[in-house]
Amino acid sequence: MLVYEIMPGEKRIIAGVYHLSKVLGRHFALQDINFQLANGEFVFLVGPSGAGKSTLLRMMYMDDIPDSGQVIMGAHVSTMMKRRNIPRLRRRIGIVFQDFRLIEDRNVFENVALAMKVAGIGITEIKHEMTNILTRVGLYHKRYEFPGALSGGEQQRVAIARAVANKPAVLLADEPTGNLDPMVTRGILELLFKINSGGTAVLMATHDVELVKSFGQRIIYLQDGKIVKDKEMLFRGNLRESISNSRVDHRAKKFTEHSIGEDYDGKRGR
Amino acid sequence: MAGINEAKYMLGESVRMLKSGKVSNLISVIIMGFSLLVLVIYILVTLNVSIIIEKGMEEMCVYVYLEDGVNNSITEDIREKLLEIESVRRVVFVSKDKALEKFREQLGKNSDILEELGANPLPDAFRIQMKPESNASVAMEKIAQAATGWKGVDDVRYGKKWVEKGEKLVKGFYMTGLALGLIVFLSVIFVISNTVRLSILSRRESVEIMKLVGATNMYIQVPFIIEGAIQGIVSSLLAMALLWGVCSFAGRYLPGLGFFRFEGVIGFIILCAFLGSIGSFVAIRKFLKR
Ligand SMILES: Nc1ncnc2c1ncn2[C@@H]1O[C@H](COP(=O)(O)OP(=O)(O)OP(=O)(O)O)[C@@H](O)[C@H]1O
Ligand SMILES: [Mg+2]
Repeated sequence: MLVYEIMPGEKRIIAGVYHLSKVLGRHFALQDINFQLANGEFVFLVGPSGAGKSTLLRMMYMDDIPDSGQVIMGAHVSTMMKRRNIPRLRRRIGIVFQDFRLIEDRNVFENVALAMKVAGIGITEIKHEMTNILTRVGLYHKRYEFPGALSGGEQQRVAIARAVANKPAVLLADEPTGNLDPMVTRGILELLFKINSGGTAVLMATHDVELVKSFGQRIIYLQDGKIVKDKEMLFRGNLRESISNSRVDHRAKKFTEHSIGEDYDGKRGR
Repeated sequence: MAGINEAKYMLGESVRMLKSGKVSNLISVIIMGFSLLVLVIYILVTLNVSIIIEKGMEEMCVYVYLEDGVNNSITEDIREKLLEIESVRRVVFVSKDKALEKFREQLGKNSDILEELGANPLPDAFRIQMKPESNASVAMEKIAQAATGWKGVDDVRYGKKWVEKGEKLVKGFYMTGLALGLIVFLSVIFVISNTVRLSILSRRESVEIMKLVGATNMYIQVPFIIEGAIQGIVSSLLAMALLWGVCSFAGRYLPGLGFFRFEGVIGFIILCAFLGSIGSFVAIRKFLKR
């Protein structure tokens, strides 16, 4: 099975950053940033420490507002964003961090369920979906464990499960493998590719250029708050190896198929 | 608007919060309970003292003594004129016979000496009680000046020095009481807001995470508000229980020491529930606004 090309007309912009600048302290953390993210795309955001990767992602989940320029996430425009609408945006995107950010006194199930609960989903549906979600990140058997009892890789899987629980159109990942050793890193990357192959666009920030180069995905290079290179890909989607494994691909597809072709502020109203 | 699911989850979060914070909640409640105890002791002492003062003020009377053998119409005239004065609350006629009887009672065993006098030497009099809110010493002075010249009035008397002293004492009591009350109240507010702040700080991580996964402010706030209300109720109950203990102990030495009425206790508990939830609300609001 081969990588498939983006069909003309199929490509839709689901996230865009336009002439974005941000000053932190006395310096530009970001300066005139421009890029767009299409549905189903997988993009690495690469740059050395202090390049502004985290800052850029924070602008995208609207934890902070740009000093100039704007961010458009689905129907949410940063320049017109009202504070009280931020939760609605957050439910339609997934966010993953280097430090996992799980609630320590809640077990795996409860941590993942939180994302669905705040979206107002009924407990019956949560329980039903949870089996699928946790099986797909390979942690169903550990659903009653607390984060403290899990390895770093497992914790990150829980975080990813939580991030995709509401079937987001975009997953923002800030150094998701930063705390993990190479073997575990590979597993997490594969999980992200799997999620991506189901249709969820992924923007993953990392400082590890070597890690990223081998996959042939689009890479945005960030340095001193500026984009120095944006290698657009001809192909959308998946890690070749995981693509060649059609079984995995099939499962992954089913996992996120709901978000394909659907605007993430869509009528599902979450 | 929150749907039925959200409402259920918010309640669940509240229960979880109360359970997970058992120890810190207990500490908070104890700290708050004792702070409130200081406040209620202050209130109770003020109330008791002000009741004593009021009674004392009631005892402060002006006596208008009448000339011997004044006729009834002049007596009535004087009564009416006295009643017209604004600061006067009550005017009681004390006949010479009644006065003698009282005098005799006061003398007790020695009342025999009265027999020596033969005729009753005491005059008829009016006893005038002042309104409690009137500035007693000034008002009494006025009555004295006015009534001295009236027809049929022999003499006007009141304990001038004593009244002035009493008034100074009352004023002093209320002023220091007010200052003290303010200090007590502010420290209670300080203690409670700090307790709430600590409770939020200990949960800042989960609050941040909730924000990240798209929880509305309401979803985050409601458990804190409920927790604040419950802490307010429990700590006010604790304060009341402690106060009751203190009172029944102090009551042995201070007979007539009054406790709050039932409505007062309920009102205080409701007030504390309200303060607790408002305090939590303000604190979590401030935290979320950063
Ligand atoms: N709150 C802040 N106040 C001042 N400067 C800040 C603040 N946050 C970040 N910066 C600065 O902004 C720049 C970009 O920081 P950012 O955290 O986005 O970098 P990064 O690419 O994520 O780095 P890393 O790989 O270390 O996570 C840095 O120079 C940093 O020092
Ligand atoms: Mg960073």
